[in-house]
Amino acid sequence: MMKKFGEVILLLLLLLLFFVPHAEGTRYSLPGKPALTRCRSPEKETFTCWWEPGSDGGLPTTYALYYRKENSETVYECPDYHTAGKNSCFFNKNDTSIWVNYNITVVASNALGSTFSDPVDIDVVYIVKPNPPEKVAVTVMEDKGWPFLRVSWEPPHKADTRSGWITLIYELRVKLDGENEWEMHLAGQQKMFNIFSLRSGGRYLVQVRCKPDHGFWSEWSSASHIKVPDYFHRERSVWILITVFFAFIFLIVSWCIHINSHSLKHCILPPVPGPKIRGFDKQLLKNGKSEDIFSALVVSDFPPTSSSNYEDLLVEYLEVYIPEEQELILEESKDLHDGCLKPKGSTFDSDSGRGSCDSHTLLMDKCGEAKDDEQQTDQDGSQTGSEAQRQQAAWEQEALTYAHEDMISPDMSSGRVKTWPSVFSPLPQYSLSPLSQPSSLETAKQHCLSDSLFPPASLSSYLTQPGQSTKEALRSSYSDFCSSNKQPHLLHPQPDARHHLQAHSDVNISSIGHKEAPAGLQLPTVQSTEYVEVHTVNEDDMVLLHPVPSGHSHGKGCLQMHQGEDYSKVNGVDKNNVLLLQRDVIEEQVDMCPCENQDMNGATESCCTSAQKSIPCIHTTLPVQEEKAVNGYVDTATMFPLPIH
Amino acid sequence: MRQSARLQTILDLTAVDAAPLCTNAQAGCHVLSLANLFDRVIQHSARMHGISNDLHSEFELYFLPSKNQIGRVSRNCHTSSILTPNGKENAQRMAREELTEVILKLLVAWRDPLWHFHQSMAHHHDFNNFSSNKSLEMSDMVHELRKGVQKVVEKMQMLGIISNSVSNLASPEALLASDSAEWRLMKDYDLLYCFRRDSNKVQNYLKILKCRIVPEHGC
Repeated sequence: MMKKFGEVILLLLLLLLFFVPHAEGTRYSLPGKPALTRCRSPEKETFTCWWEPGSDGGLPTTYALYYRKENSETVYECPDYHTAGKNSCFFNKNDTSIWVNYNITVVASNALGSTFSDPVDIDVVYIVKPNPPEKVAVTVMEDKGWPFLRVSWEPPHKADTRSGWITLIYELRVKLDGENEWEMHLAGQQKMFNIFSLRSGGRYLVQVRCKPDHGFWSEWSSASHIKVPDYFHRERSVWILITVFFAFIFLIVSWCIHINSHSLKHCILPPVPGPKIRGFDKQLLKNGKSEDIFSALVVSDFPPTSSSNYEDLLVEYLEVYIPEEQELILEESKDLHDGCLKPKGSTFDSDSGRGSCDSHTLLMDKCGEAKDDEQQTDQDGSQTGSEAQRQQAAWEQEALTYAHEDMISPDMSSGRVKTWPSVFSPLPQYSLSPLSQPSSLETAKQHCLSDSLFPPASLSSYLTQPGQSTKEALRSSYSDFCSSNKQPHLLHPQPDARHHLQAHSDVNISSIGHKEAPAGLQLPTVQSTEYVEVHTVNEDDMVLLHPVPSGHSHGKGCLQMHQGEDYSKVNGVDKNNVLLLQRDVIEEQVDMCPCENQDMNGATESCCTSAQKSIPCIHTTLPVQEEKAVNGYVDTATMFPLPIH
Repeated sequence: MRQSARLQTILDLTAVDAAPLCTNAQAGCHVLSLANLFDRVIQHSARMHGISNDLHSEFELYFLPSKNQIGRVSRNCHTSSILTPNGKENAQRMAREELTEVILKLLVAWRDPLWHFHQSMAHHHDFNNFSSNKSLEMSDMVHELRKGVQKVVEKMQMLGIISNSVSNLASPEALLASDSAEWRLMKDYDLLYCFRRDSNKVQNYLKILKCRIVPEHGC
């Protein structure tokens, strides 16, 4: 029994001994497994490895790093445990080989044992992490008034970029003070960078870092602070300038619109056109004085008044007989607006310049012949032409004072025709066409016109152009004057004067005759009641005629014709180019007055029918007498044959 | 597109050098053109290294589950016979001609292996087209880079910077020497690993050479 009890007690003691040391063994153990955390090389020439120790096992633990190079079984231990700090191993240049694979292991060992870490293969080329760039400098610079930041730096002094051993690329970041967002900029291999688009008056932070071709980014450099100066005032001035500019533009535009408002108004609302009559004064109309209006319409200078020189010479009255439809009405008064002047049954031709040539009548060839003849006689009558011109002018002016219009009214009712003014109005252009040298054609027309009056047969052809016929009538009357021999004493004042007169009459007659001769026209029974007496002969050998008032009363617009012989008709031209005039005895009266004076002669006829009765009157005329008449004109024509050029 | 552009730069490099831009009297012009040549070559080598790096990473990702395989220390590149400087001091201590020769040797050594690697890549159905194109481009780049470096060497020799001792590595003998069967034993992954390193060496050596010969242009 005692023996068994003793064995149990020994067993218990042994068990106790066992447990006690075990209890102490839990506090002491092998060191934990260390682990290599990282290996870094700052310049690709040295590198450092750091490890993390495991649990130490309660006992002091030592760590050792062993490495093996590529293709070598030699195990080396870390040469430097202290340079890089605790739990690190620093490999200096001699121990570092580039492009060589390192197999590194860390061993932790304590009293109980050692523990190996997992091996790590590294190649130094790929573990390069440079130091941050150094000497980072930030300055504010200006570019055309706008500021920008210029950041410059240098590579870490350890990294050898000069020899080309390491190539670094850089990156920087900027942010405003107080904000959280960084603005990143990659700078490449350059060591300088510009930052634009800055806020005026802002405070900025700048940092730079670098990286090799294949490696890790360095840490950011320490922040560099910079303050951008204020340029707000410049911005404001720009805005002010822009505002002023636009205000200016606006002013100009509004001013232009204001200037053109009137024209714009016209464009949008065109005004109603008012009456546009020349000489018409709206104000007068508004005033309500119609007389003034109408008087204003009247052209004051029509008919043109002559100079005072010719007033004495102007013939006051003339009576011209125009057969049949062509009765010329002459009035002294200016009131020609009544219908008396209106032609009957004939169209008026305002263009009184046109000759009968325009009408497609027989006179076409006559005009041509007359034209030729005129030219021949031009030279002859050049001297007397001036005289005739003056006479003509005088007569014209006189006539124009009496008439306003170029109207011929073959008024049959009136026995007398007054065409003097109207007919002569266009005549100044032609003056004494045979004497002067107007356009020959026009003169021919004139002559034709005058011719037309004479032949009764061709009267109808000229009805269409009464205006011209009036001219012709006047011409005939003119020629009548020239050829009248009513007052022979007047025509024979003096030999020289007579010569002049004769010459004048020559020309006249010749002119007339030329017109008349080819036509073979008879002188119409146009009787001139008023004759011109020779007044004086001036120093230029010009005969100044004097209007001789007729014995009859100067009735108002009444022209009376005396009975007399009329030599204004050319019977023909003989072979010697001598004009053969026809003497007619004018037994008819042509009176403008409504057939008042019918006591002139027994052969009076109503004015209405005077024109129509021209034919019968003509027939009643005496036969042509080819002899010297009492009046010198006609006779002299026959006496003095006209040379033909 | 970029890769083709990079290839083009090398081609331009060779073409440009055919027609000399500088007259003999202008020394500065020669130096400038040499610096430009160096820049182009370095750029090209950087591009090459980038491709090899990408390919290697891709390989590691898809074909090797564990990155760190202990026991694969017997990684033996076929170019390990070529003595290359392993440090900056070693590289700087090396003569220009030696360094140039090392570069050329490396480039020559890798021409055929990369071509075959590309061929094997093409038959691998696992590889995508992108990787296959990269391997082809890599292979072309090595070829063009060698030509470029040859041009640089010729230029340097013309300028008298280096002696004419640099042998013409394009000779058939050199090709035969490099054409050893060692690389055929290498596996694809090891090949990529080795080439990635060698392309980095080439790039680095070229930079060292440039900054030693024409230091004032971007060093």
